[in-house]
Amino acid sequence: MTERGSAAGGGDRSDEAEDTGGDRRVSAVLAPLWTALDRWGLAATAGLTALIVGVVFYFPVVLVLRRAVVAGGRVTVAPVAAVLTDPFYVGVLADVLGNPLAVGRHLGAVVGFLTEFRLRLGTYHGLPWLYLVVPGVRTGLFGFTAYQALLSTVLSVAVGLPGAYVLSNYEFRGRRFLRSVTILPFVLPAVMVAIGFYAMFGAQGTLNDALGLLGLGDVNLLFTLKIVVIAHAFYNAPLIVRVTTAAWETVDRRTVETARSLGAGPRRAFLDVVVPQLLPAILTGALLTFIFTFLTFPIVLMLGGARLATVEVWVYRRIRELAYQEAAALAVVETVLSLGLTLLYLRYERRAASLGTGSVEDRDPLVPSLRSLVTPQRLAIVGYGALVVVLFVGPLASMILASVTNEGTLTLRWYRVLLERQVEGASFQTKPLPAVRNSLLFAGATLVVAVPMGVVVAVTTRRWRGGHLLETLAMAPLSVSGIIVGIGLLEGLVFGVDLPGPYRLVLTGPVAIAAAHAVAAYPFVVRSVGPLLSRIDRATVESARALGASRARTLLDVELPLVASGVVAGAAFAVAISIGEFDSTVILAEGGTTYTMPVAVERYLASRTLGPASAMGTIMLAVTAAAFVVVDRVGGRFER
Amino acid sequence: MDRRTFLKTAGPTTLAATLAGCLVSDGGDGGDGGDGTDGDPTDEPGTTEGGTDTQGTPTATPEPDLEGTLTVATYSAFVDAPSSSPGPWLKDEFESQYPDATVEYVTPENGLNQYVQRRKQGAGIDADVYVGLNTSQLITVDENLPDSRLFADLDRGRLENAGAVKSELEVDPRGRAIPYDTGYISLVYDESVVSNPETFEALTTSEYAGTLLAQNAQTSDTGRAFLLWTIHEFGEDGYLDYWRNLLDNDVRILENWDAAYGAYGEGERPMVVSYSTDQVFANRYDQDMTRHQVSFPNDQGYANPETMAVFEGADEPDLAYRFFDFLLSPTAQGEIAERNVQFPATDNAELSAEYDRYAKVPPEPVTFSYEQLQGNVEGWIDDWGREVVSR
Repeated sequence: MTERGSAAGGGDRSDEAEDTGGDRRVSAVLAPLWTALDRWGLAATAGLTALIVGVVFYFPVVLVLRRAVVAGGRVTVAPVAAVLTDPFYVGVLADVLGNPLAVGRHLGAVVGFLTEFRLRLGTYHGLPWLYLVVPGVRTGLFGFTAYQALLSTVLSVAVGLPGAYVLSNYEFRGRRFLRSVTILPFVLPAVMVAIGFYAMFGAQGTLNDALGLLGLGDVNLLFTLKIVVIAHAFYNAPLIVRVTTAAWETVDRRTVETARSLGAGPRRAFLDVVVPQLLPAILTGALLTFIFTFLTFPIVLMLGGARLATVEVWVYRRIRELAYQEAAALAVVETVLSLGLTLLYLRYERRAASLGTGSVEDRDPLVPSLRSLVTPQRLAIVGYGALVVVLFVGPLASMILASVTNEGTLTLRWYRVLLERQVEGASFQTKPLPAVRNSLLFAGATLVVAVPMGVVVAVTTRRWRGGHLLETLAMAPLSVSGIIVGIGLLEGLVFGVDLPGPYRLVLTGPVAIAAAHAVAAYPFVVRSVGPLLSRIDRATVESARALGASRARTLLDVELPLVASGVVAGAAFAVAISIGEFDSTVILAEGGTTYTMPVAVERYLASRTLGPASAMGTIMLAVTAAAFVVVDRVGGRFER
Repeated sequence: MDRRTFLKTAGPTTLAATLAGCLVSDGGDGGDGGDGTDGDPTDEPGTTEGGTDTQGTPTATPEPDLEGTLTVATYSAFVDAPSSSPGPWLKDEFESQYPDATVEYVTPENGLNQYVQRRKQGAGIDADVYVGLNTSQLITVDENLPDSRLFADLDRGRLENAGAVKSELEVDPRGRAIPYDTGYISLVYDESVVSNPETFEALTTSEYAGTLLAQNAQTSDTGRAFLLWTIHEFGEDGYLDYWRNLLDNDVRILENWDAAYGAYGEGERPMVVSYSTDQVFANRYDQDMTRHQVSFPNDQGYANPETMAVFEGADEPDLAYRFFDFLLSPTAQGEIAERNVQFPATDNAELSAEYDRYAKVPPEPVTFSYEQLQGNVEGWIDDWGREVVSR
C-alpha cells in the first residue's frame, strides 16, 4: 500500500488518506493539485482513452470503411449490395438477398433442396448399410468462415471443459502454476504458433516421428481445415478453461450438498445444480471463441494454405490487389456480424457476472495414491493430460527442438546465425537484440497506457444506463477486421492527413506503435476487470462516497484493491498482447528500426529453413514467459 | 537542386526526431513533378541535420550532384535475407565509389503498393528509386494511377552500361524501367521421391498427386508468374480447366515463395514452384543435389525480368542514375546474380564458372509482354483466385 501511495505522487498524506479509506486531509501545498486530480482524474483518463482509441482505431477504421458506403462524394449501398448478392461470398443466400420478394421462388428452392435428399444402399465393413445423400449447398466465403469458426468453437470447448474440471476440482502440485499459465497460448504470436505447428504436425514433424517409433502410420495435417481448427483450439481452449474455472470455483458447494441431502444422485446434482451455474461462463467463452475465429487471419493464411479462405483472408487479398472498395464492403458486412456477436457476448457476460460468489478450497487430491490412478475417472484425466501435452506442449517443444537441430543432429548453428547477424549485420538488417529491446519497451509502455484505459472503460461502462452499447463500442477493437485497422493506420497516420497550407499531419514511430498496442490490449483489461467490478457490493462504493470520498478516490482505495487480481491479469494480457502484436507494428514502423520480436521471427522465416526463425521464436517464448512471470509476481504483491 | 538537397536532409530528420506526430510539407515529396517552384525552402518545418552545405548557392552548370542520401525502395529479400542478399555489398561498394553519397534502403511491408497508394492519396514519396519491378507490377502502377506518374522517364543516354542490357529482357514500353536481373520460374524437385514430370499434363496425373507446392498468384510474384505460365500454355479459355485438374490432383498453394520453399525444405512435399537457379544456392551451402533438381515442363521456363525505375520527382536524380549505372556494371551484375540467385540482365557480367554450371536456362523461355498482360492480368488472377477457394 505504501509503495503505491507514494508512487501515485500523493506523498505521505495520500497514504493516510488511503488508510482511512477516503478521508481527505491534504497538505496545503498539494491541495489544489490533488483536488484537481481527485475531481478530474477519472474524467481526464477517460478523455485520454477516448482520444487514443479515436485516433488509432476509430479514425483509421472509418477512413477505410467509408469507401464501402461513399463513392464519388455520394452515399451508396452498391458495394455492400454487390457483396450480399454474390454467391461467391454468401452462397445460396445471394439469390434471397438479391430478390427478397421472390418468396415463391425461394420456397421452391428450399423444397427442391429437401427433395434432393436420397437414401443410398451401400455396404459398411461388408454389411449392407443405408447412406443418407445430402445435397450440396453453396455456402460462400461467409458460410465457410462461420463453419470453421463453429468447428473451432466446438473443439475449443471440448478441449477446454475437462481442463476447467480438473483445475477447479482437484488439488495437485503445480495446480496454481498451471492455472496461471493456461492463458499463455492465447497470447502467443501467430507466426510463432505456426512454426511450432509446422515442427509438431508437419510431414516430418515431432508427431510423425513419435508415431513412427510406435510403428504407426503418418498423419498429414498441414494445410488442411483440420490443422486450422486444431490451431484455433490451441488458442481458444485456454480461454474456455479460464472463464469456466473461474465460474466453477465460485459454485457454492452448499447448493450441491443441499441437493444431495434432498435425495439427488451425484449426476442429478451436477446436472441440475452445477451445470446451470457454469453454463453462462461456458457460453461467454464459446461466443468469444466464435468471434475470434470468425475474424481469424494469420493462422488460416500460414497453416491453411491458399485454398482455405475466410472473409478476413479475402479482405487481405483484395487489399493486396488494391481493390479497396470491395475489401471495405466485405469488411463492413463482416464487422456488422462480429459487432452483433460482441453485443450478444457482453449481455451474456453480465448475466454470468451476476451469479453468486461462493468460494471453495476443498478440492480432492488428484493423486491420493498410485492405486487410485486405476479408476476410470483418474485414467480419463491421465488421457486428457496426454492430449494436453500433444496439443499445447508439443508445438512449443517442437519449435525449441527445431532451434537446436539440423537434419537430425543437435546443433547450435541457428543461434550462431543470430549471433553473427547481431554482430556483423548491416544497420538496415534485422538483428535479434534490438528486437528484444523494442518488444520490452513497447510492452512496458503498453502496460502503463492500457491498464488505466481498461480500468476506466470498465468503470465508466458499468455505472451507466445503456453502458453496454458504449461497452460494445469500446470493445470494437476485438471485433473489427485487423486488416482494415492496419490499412487505416497506414493511410490515416503514416500517409498523413492534409492540413491547411502545405502541411500534412503524420503520426508514426514508437509512440504511435505503443498507442496501437494499447488499443489492441485494453479490451482484455476491461474483460479482466469488468466482471469483478460488477460483483462488488454497490453499498461499499456508496458508503465511501457518502463519507466524502471522490469518485477517483473510491476507485483507487475501495474498488481497485477488491479487483486487484483482475488488474494483474489485465496487465499480463497487456504485456503479452503487445509482445505478440504484428500488423500495426510493421505498418507504423515504416521500415525503421522499431521492429519487434515477432517481426524478427517473420523475417528470419524467409531463409529456406525453419532454423533461424525457430531460434528467434525460442528467444521470444523465453522473453514472453519471463515478462508474464514478472507481471504475475510483482502484481501478486498487490493482491489480497 | 538546392531545394531538393535541403528537403532531403530535412525530411527524414523531422520524421526520425519526432516520436509521435509531426508536420511534414507536401512539397517535400517531389509530388509537384520536380519544378521546384511551389514553395520557399524557408517555409519548411524541421531543421537540417548538420546545418552545413544544405543551402549552397545555385549554379547554372549541369555538374551532377553526387552528394547526399539515395533512398532505395526495394523488397526485403534484396537487402535483408537471412541467407544472402545483394543489398549490403551494393551499398558498401557504391559508397566507396561515391564517398559523398549514402545509400539508404527502405523495404515497405506491402512493397510497391505502398507507393501506389501514397501517390493516390497525395502523400509524399520519400524514396528516389524502386528496385524490383516486374511486368505485371508496372501494369498495376499504370492501371491504378492512370492520371499521374509514379516513375520518371529514364534517360538511357545517361547510363554508360545500358547498352549491355539484353534486349529480350526489356519489359516497359514506356521506357521508365530498366532490367537489372531476371529469373526463370521452373519446378524444383526431390529426385529421390519423384521423377522429372517433363510436361504440364504430367502434373495432373496420379503419379504426381499430392506432390506439388505452388504459391498464391494473388499475393506472390512467383505464384503469379507460374499462373501466367499456365495461361501462356493453355490459353485464356483453358487455364482454369488445367488448374481444376491440378487442384483435384491436390496441389498445395501457399501464400508466398518463402512459405512454399520452406515447406519444401521441411519435406512437406517433394516438388515446388521456384527458380531455375536453385542449384546455385544449394551448391553454395553444399546441399544434397538430389533435393535440388530443376524441371522445365514442356521444356519451358517463364521469364520474370526484374527492373528498376526512378521515382518521378526524386530528390537525388543524379545519384539515382549513377546507382543504376553501377548496378549494371559487369562486377555488380555478377554479384547481384550470385547473391540474389538470379541471372544477370547484361551480356558482360562477371560470373564464376560454378555459377554457369549450376544456373540452368530453360530451352524455351516464355513470357507475356506488357501489352499482352495489360487489361487482362487482373481478371485472370481474380478468376483463378475464386476458383481456388471455391473448389
